[in-house]
Amino acid sequence: MSKIELPNKDGFFGNYGGKFVPETLMKALTELESEYNKLKTSTAFQKQIDKDYAEFVGRPSPLYFAERLTKKYKGPKIWLKREDLNHTGAHKINNTIGQIILAKKMGKKRIIAETGAGQHGVATATVAARLGLECHIYMGAEDVDRQSLNVYRIKLLGASVHPVHSGTATLKDALNEAIRDWVTNVEDTYYIIGSVTGPHPYPMIVRDFNSIVGRELKIQAKHHFGKLPNAIIACVGGGSNAMGIFYPFIQNKQVNLYGIEADGRKLEKNKHSATLTKGSPGILHGALSYLIQDKKGQVLPTHSISAGLDYPGVGPEHSYLKDIGRVNYFPVNDEAVLKAFHEVSELEGIIPALETAHAFAALEKISKSYSVKDNIVVNVSGRGDKDISTVAKLEGISLE
Amino acid sequence: MNRLDDRLNHLKAENSKGLVAYLVAGDPSIQTTLELMHGFVQSGVDIIELGIPFSDPIAEGITIQNAHDRALKNGTTFSLAFKLLQDFRKDDNQTPIILMGYSNTFMANRKFLEGKNAKIIDGLIIVDLPGEISHKNLGINNDSLHSITLIAPTTNNKRKRAICKNASGFIYYVNFRGVTGSSSLDFEEITRNIIELKSTSNLPIFSGFGIKTKEDALLAAASADGVVIGSYLVNLIHQCSPKKNYKKIYNYLNSVAKAIK
Repeated sequence: MSKIELPNKDGFFGNYGGKFVPETLMKALTELESEYNKLKTSTAFQKQIDKDYAEFVGRPSPLYFAERLTKKYKGPKIWLKREDLNHTGAHKINNTIGQIILAKKMGKKRIIAETGAGQHGVATATVAARLGLECHIYMGAEDVDRQSLNVYRIKLLGASVHPVHSGTATLKDALNEAIRDWVTNVEDTYYIIGSVTGPHPYPMIVRDFNSIVGRELKIQAKHHFGKLPNAIIACVGGGSNAMGIFYPFIQNKQVNLYGIEADGRKLEKNKHSATLTKGSPGILHGALSYLIQDKKGQVLPTHSISAGLDYPGVGPEHSYLKDIGRVNYFPVNDEAVLKAFHEVSELEGIIPALETAHAFAALEKISKSYSVKDNIVVNVSGRGDKDISTVAKLEGISLE
Repeated sequence: MNRLDDRLNHLKAENSKGLVAYLVAGDPSIQTTLELMHGFVQSGVDIIELGIPFSDPIAEGITIQNAHDRALKNGTTFSLAFKLLQDFRKDDNQTPIILMGYSNTFMANRKFLEGKNAKIIDGLIIVDLPGEISHKNLGINNDSLHSITLIAPTTNNKRKRAICKNASGFIYYVNFRGVTGSSSLDFEEITRNIIELKSTSNLPIFSGFGIKTKEDALLAAASADGVVIGSYLVNLIHQCSPKKNYKKIYNYLNSVAKAIK
């Protein structure tokens, strides 16, 4: 693979990506792209973002040796990239810190965002509060129920939460509603998309801001074990935490990359969110990418135990990486995820987010391909506090 | 040359404004859509814009979203909509038909839009396809279908030129920043933008989004070559459907047609 800068000028990663949006938004996308390209190379901007990462987010996040997990799988050394230790509890803040500076530079007064698990909503409300900007978060009504802790956090941060009842009342519908808001209020509103999805330039911008994770890992890996890791594992919904940790390693072909999708319910064939493994190319929310849809081009309802992965689309760059075979994508089911959730909590003293638990659930299969001399890294994309009531409910435990 | 060219040429020759009416295929049922389409034509509608329902219609306000939902729940598919058009053409081979919808459904159903069978359709409006590229970019190989492109109040001059270069049939001017059916209309801005657009393109310019009353239509048609009525009509259809008193809709369309002609 030669080092070609992707996306191309039209926003395509190979066949995937683009700007499939109503005409009203095209001007906003062009302005965003040109503002971002200017800022990207500005040293003042780099300085500001580095300072925010260090002093507000708490970066760099540690690379931690998971001794008991390693012992359990009796194979490669397992390392954890601790994005769960970031301020607000997940990788999502890496992106919102950067985009809010863009919003401010562009003179926008009003911030909107969609959220599934609520982590991106919290991360957006956090940075908006810090700059005193009006903030509106769209969230599927079903997710409002299953992520009530994060809903309350968003409100505490001074933002409004708008439950979305249309369609399947989950993340996809929250995106629809956020786009409709943006079409209506495009002149004064900045839309902070939370994943490597949406129309160009968003997949590129969100990837670039999250790439801090992979860049830190490169340095930390050298420090801890003197070489690059043999493998990196991350969960994939829209794919922002995975893109962030993978991206700096794309050219290092000796590093195997694994993207873990949500296979949902074990016994129900159509209750999943495994877009790359089981979907087909289509256009949703501004980009051409793999999509969970029927043969007639209608988007299908998805399912995942984790609200953050419960989405029928995926970032276009992941579709490209799948097709060229650079990343190995496969799904794990809810049952395996719950098992991993408990296992990591009990063995390592870390309660992972249910999204993150997908990456852990893949360890059993992946670690078999590596020897004790190898090092593999799991991206701990977020902490699990927000999921405690979901897990308790599933296991019939009352927290009242 | 297809029915749309004929109709637009005719309107121009008569120095008359065009009336485009939108409805969603399968709302409330395929059979009713067929009946309504014929009723529209008899009420003075020049061009029919048939909405193809999609699960995620991001450019639509709540009225048309609900209509898409109802149509999908009825089991409306592209192939049923196509069958409906074949039936329509048995009695009416003059009225131009434009399909309006989203890239994903058109891409998935492209086989219906190619070849001899596709001749029952005259053009496509693909709401989320950038105006400077055509339906061919979605793999739809059909040169005889018009690509009706949209221009918004936010479209800059550079884009306007690129879009007009690619446009055929007519240009659809989006009256405001927003989803379908919302907002009140700023006719000063609309008039200014349409007049400016006429210096960029020789194609007829139709004004759509937010047109409700006869008076709205009249004000928009002062500068535009025609008007598109969407959400207001979809709402009327929904209201009139339980009792099937569609006469109310036909009277309304008739009064709009008479006013702008």
